[in-house]
Amino acid sequence: MSKNFVFIGLFGSGKTEVAINYSIFLRKKYEKVAIADVDIISPYFRTRDVVDLLEKKGIKVITPPGVLKYADLPIVSGAVAGFLQNKDYKTVLDVGGEENGVVVVGYLKPYLEDAEISLVINTRRPFTSDVEGIIKTYEQLSKIAKLKISYLINNTNLSNETTKEIILEGEEIVSKASEVLEVPVKFTVVPSFISDINTKFPQFKIERFMKMEF
Amino acid sequence: MEKVMVKGTEAIGEAAIRAGCRHFFGYPITPQSELPEYMSKRLPEVDGVFLQTESEVATVNMLYGAACTGTRVMTSTSSPGFSLMMEGVSYMACAQLPAVFVNVVRGGPGLGDIQPAQGDYWQATKGGGHGDYKLIVLAPATVQEAVDLTVLAFDLADKYRTPTLILADGLLGQMMEPVEFPEFRDLSTLPDHSSWAMTGAKGRKPHIITSFDIDPYILEKMNLELVKKYREIEKNEVRWEEFKTEDADIVITAFGTVARIAKSVVEMARKDGLKVGLFRPITVWPFPYEPLKKLAEKVDLFFDVEMNMGQMLEDVKLAIGGEKPVAFYSRMGGVVPTPNEIYEALKKEFGRRE
Repeated sequence: MSKNFVFIGLFGSGKTEVAINYSIFLRKKYEKVAIADVDIISPYFRTRDVVDLLEKKGIKVITPPGVLKYADLPIVSGAVAGFLQNKDYKTVLDVGGEENGVVVVGYLKPYLEDAEISLVINTRRPFTSDVEGIIKTYEQLSKIAKLKISYLINNTNLSNETTKEIILEGEEIVSKASEVLEVPVKFTVVPSFISDINTKFPQFKIERFMKMEF
Repeated sequence: MEKVMVKGTEAIGEAAIRAGCRHFFGYPITPQSELPEYMSKRLPEVDGVFLQTESEVATVNMLYGAACTGTRVMTSTSSPGFSLMMEGVSYMACAQLPAVFVNVVRGGPGLGDIQPAQGDYWQATKGGGHGDYKLIVLAPATVQEAVDLTVLAFDLADKYRTPTLILADGLLGQMMEPVEFPEFRDLSTLPDHSSWAMTGAKGRKPHIITSFDIDPYILEKMNLELVKKYREIEKNEVRWEEFKTEDADIVITAFGTVARIAKSVVEMARKDGLKVGLFRPITVWPFPYEPLKKLAEKVDLFFDVEMNMGQMLEDVKLAIGGEKPVAFYSRMGGVVPTPNEIYEALKKEFGRRE
């Protein structure tokens, strides 16, 4: 098992949801788990918005300090490098979208020797709807992260309109991209409201946290 | 078309391209920068032009120039950025140039913050720039509606030769929802602007597009032409939605994101046996005065909710005309009210009047 886990992807690919759920998954196995919100791009719908919920689950959340959490400034707390190096902690990085968000990963590279980098893909999103788009995204983002991407993650979904068929259709596309890129698929994300589905890749069940009450 | 997951900002961008827009000029500002970013990737794929300008003032003047050729052109910005564009918007209204503006409103006034707000209602509907002009202003409440209204914004801009505005807010811009996009418009089927546009004057008299005349009697004629057009728009283009108003004693009035929240409030109230409905202007200019006035005949109390100090409230009161009480609830500064707090405020208001 790696020490650190990095989730990257385009805008709206579901990185934050996957990262949050992954930190909860890790917390079931390990005493000390941290999640660092290093999203320097999105103005809303970020890990920092669910700090209380995660801390109640015993997960350490690292966000920009104080009122700076309301900003979309390129702030990466010094604590992030600390937790990435702290051998006692499994640390999850929730990274901002697109090339500009991934810049942070390049900056943190010295602390990411023992890390797995996963590219989160939703084939129902613009620019990653086919194999060609996924390959282009993979190339763009790995160049900027300055690190090799270890896994692809199939997070194909239409929010609460997700069906088994949509997940499997995405799995097919991600699977083909995985063959071309020779990068394995870590898992297929399955929302908690879907059961009884047979997937090609291991399933990762998630709850949605970035939701609205209306 | 199969459904895709998109953010409000991206939805507006893709809808614009499908509506035949091939020119986008813009300057980044949170919370709408994904829109220019999306256009910078997408427009080259369809032989379009994306240009990041040096400022919002440059942006609006590039729109003026592009619109003079009769092509479909758009920009998007957020509150302070739209203020910077005001002079050019007024020029374009006077010169009768079709173009689509998008304002993804954030907290204000001043630099404000980057959270969602609705404080630009007055600016959007009552002028904003100088002189006698109006914009057609469309206020979507869902990502799918942002798609549909963007297409409509281009069609209305062309039909009336006028700038139109999509009045969104940060929440709608940032939220992701499954949507269905329309098919691509065949560019050869777009409205013919050859009677006025700058298309090369070979073999014909030059066309002159201007927002100026030194002779007051001629400028007044231009004013009257605009007024005539605005009356036409008021007659033909009023759009609104009514939700569970048929038997309602209380009607919430709200636009955009707040209307979406208010729908949840209506459901909550109905569960408790309170007859609550929602009246939602889709065109905030032209404002649906008549249908709201009609509703006032059978409703006991109106409850206007906005993320500003009470801007649409003035139009709601104008429509109702003092016959029925209008209560008001608001959050400002970028704070989004929850369905619960609105419902609590509504019950208090209702109790006070029972």
